[in-house]
Amino acid sequence: MEKENNDKLKIGIYELTGCAGDALLILDCEKELVDIFNAADIQSFLMAKSDNIDEELDIALVEGSVSTEREKEELLDIRKRAKTVVAIGICSCFGGIQAAFLDQKEWEKNFKKIYGDTKMTHTKPVQSKPIDAYIKVDYYLPGCPIEKEQFLSTFNRILRGNPPELYRFPVCVECKWNENDCLLNKDIPCLGPITRAGCGSICINHNLPCVGCWGLVEEANLTSEFQLLQEKGFDYDFIKKKMANFSGTGIADFLGNLKGDKK
Amino acid sequence: MRVIKLNKENLFPFLEVISEKADLWAPVKKGDKHVFKVVDDFSKVELSTTRTILPPRKIFLPPTFSMFNISEKGYEEDFSHVTKKILFGIHPCDIHGLLTLDNFFKQDYLDPYYLEARKNTLILGLSCWPDEYCFAKSTNTHIIEEGFDLFFTDLKDFFLVWIGSSQGDDLIRLKPEFFDENLTDTDIQTYIRWQTERDKAYKWGINFNALPDLIELKYRDSLWEKLGDACLACGSCTNVCPTCNCYNIMDKQFLGGKDGKMIRYWDACTLEEYSEIAGGENFRKKRADRLKLWYTHKLQAYISKYGKPSCVGCGRCIVTCPVDINVRTVGKALLGEKEDAFWLRFNKEVTK
Ligand code: SF4
Ligand code: SF4
Ligand code: SF4
Ligand code: SF4
Repeated sequence: MEKENNDKLKIGIYELTGCAGDALLILDCEKELVDIFNAADIQSFLMAKSDNIDEELDIALVEGSVSTEREKEELLDIRKRAKTVVAIGICSCFGGIQAAFLDQKEWEKNFKKIYGDTKMTHTKPVQSKPIDAYIKVDYYLPGCPIEKEQFLSTFNRILRGNPPELYRFPVCVECKWNENDCLLNKDIPCLGPITRAGCGSICINHNLPCVGCWGLVEEANLTSEFQLLQEKGFDYDFIKKKMANFSGTGIADFLGNLKGDKK
Repeated sequence: MRVIKLNKENLFPFLEVISEKADLWAPVKKGDKHVFKVVDDFSKVELSTTRTILPPRKIFLPPTFSMFNISEKGYEEDFSHVTKKILFGIHPCDIHGLLTLDNFFKQDYLDPYYLEARKNTLILGLSCWPDEYCFAKSTNTHIIEEGFDLFFTDLKDFFLVWIGSSQGDDLIRLKPEFFDENLTDTDIQTYIRWQTERDKAYKWGINFNALPDLIELKYRDSLWEKLGDACLACGSCTNVCPTCNCYNIMDKQFLGGKDGKMIRYWDACTLEEYSEIAGGENFRKKRADRLKLWYTHKLQAYISKYGKPSCVGCGRCIVTCPVDINVRTVGKALLGEKEDAFWLRFNKEVTK
């Protein structure tokens, strides 16, 4: 079923601010890599090749969050060129760990603390945000990094014009499928109930609590998780930080509305 | 039903003999809990467990498995999860759980994935001793009269073995010298004493007869909202319940476009997506409505149809739900009895 290059969908894979783990995972699909390149015309993929063309695209996969003006421009340009934009990885979907400082003032303070008065020459840094803060995103493929099988079947569906079919429930479901003894019930602060599934509950399988790296599940009951952890004796600030770590902008409203404070 | 006797030291040798032609699943330790697993080292088999983390239905319908393989030739059924199995160490409440699932999967459309697996699995039940969460006496599922090929009652030095089917009898015939056909009066007395003591060991109970009416009377009660506010929608209660049966399917296509498979996985009515239909409408967007459905199913609807609850008193929801929403606390709340639970203490307005 070899298709001519011009019949194939034109794909671009881009990286903004992130660890490049998602792009790396795509490259790491060794067995399937030939299939990927056969099924699609990969026009741009900085990590994989040097002859990149940045023209009209059918699908753009974007990893990473926006944390500079230049990335913002680049993203707006990608959106203009691509019929479909897919956010891949938690940074792109929700902002990731670099979006943990949600408050603009707090962010500025931290920025100053770390970089001091260093002059930024080639671009202006901005507070890190998920890509949907600037553009319309058609599909989200979360993960930290994305999960291989999920990526391959999602990529394949998108190539055929079908929306991705992802697990929309929390990590707890996969955790139970793997028959783990619940850590939360043993008073270990696990964020499984508020975190979206897809990783196969890998941390809990190794007896470590979920830190929420796949981002918030659609229906995350943050108030209940928060009070539950409080009841188990965890400190207000500890819980707040833990929950904000990977949740990006998704948790802003919740944290903003938290009543009571540092006691 | 024929009852024979097996000396304790002959149990593992017997299991070893019968497991030559089938995978033997039995409860083994996982951390400080137990799980059903295929065993080849019989010294790992636990004889005095209560509930396993997941109910035995995982042996018939694994949490995820492939229903079809899709290739250029079309759809091809995939029954690779159906193999010859022997399930040893299943307690009366869980056997009742399987009988409940049988009702469901035979109801209108036969479910071959379940029924084939069921046909290929022998059930070797084992008696148990309740802990503080068991309440099978309230659901009358602490005793079992059908649904097993063999049933072992553990009387410390020996087992009384009930032969429940001809297939069970065939197993005995593999090693008849292990068994004693003649029960003495003392054996019978020992059994009666054990049963009386065991029945007394159930520490608490619920009046299930009152619940169908109460669910109707309290259908609009604020109780449901309160439960919904605290529920994490984690699906754990549903996943661990031995009588839950819902599933979803998902296509997995492989790149290149030629092949793929259709995956079936455990779904849960406590999850948001469960009641969503095409176009994004959701019949039970609110957690309160989903919990109401779960409890109506367990404690009311099933009773009207089959004359008994679809809760078998295993206590799994009690030990599993992180916010204490379970048959005990919900049942007691419906009955107006006092209970202590996180969901009762939870205050959705205040987090400080
Ligand atoms: S260990 Fe964590 S992920 Fe697993 S069931 Fe408990 S809360 Fe959920
Ligand atoms: S932190 Fe949670 S979401 Fe991330 S890999 Fe571990 S279990 Fe999965
Ligand atoms: S409702 Fe709870 S106690 Fe009853 S069978 Fe299900 S898990 Fe067991
Ligand atoms: S009732 Fe408990 S176990 Fe069930 S979904 Fe809600 S929080 Fe999870």
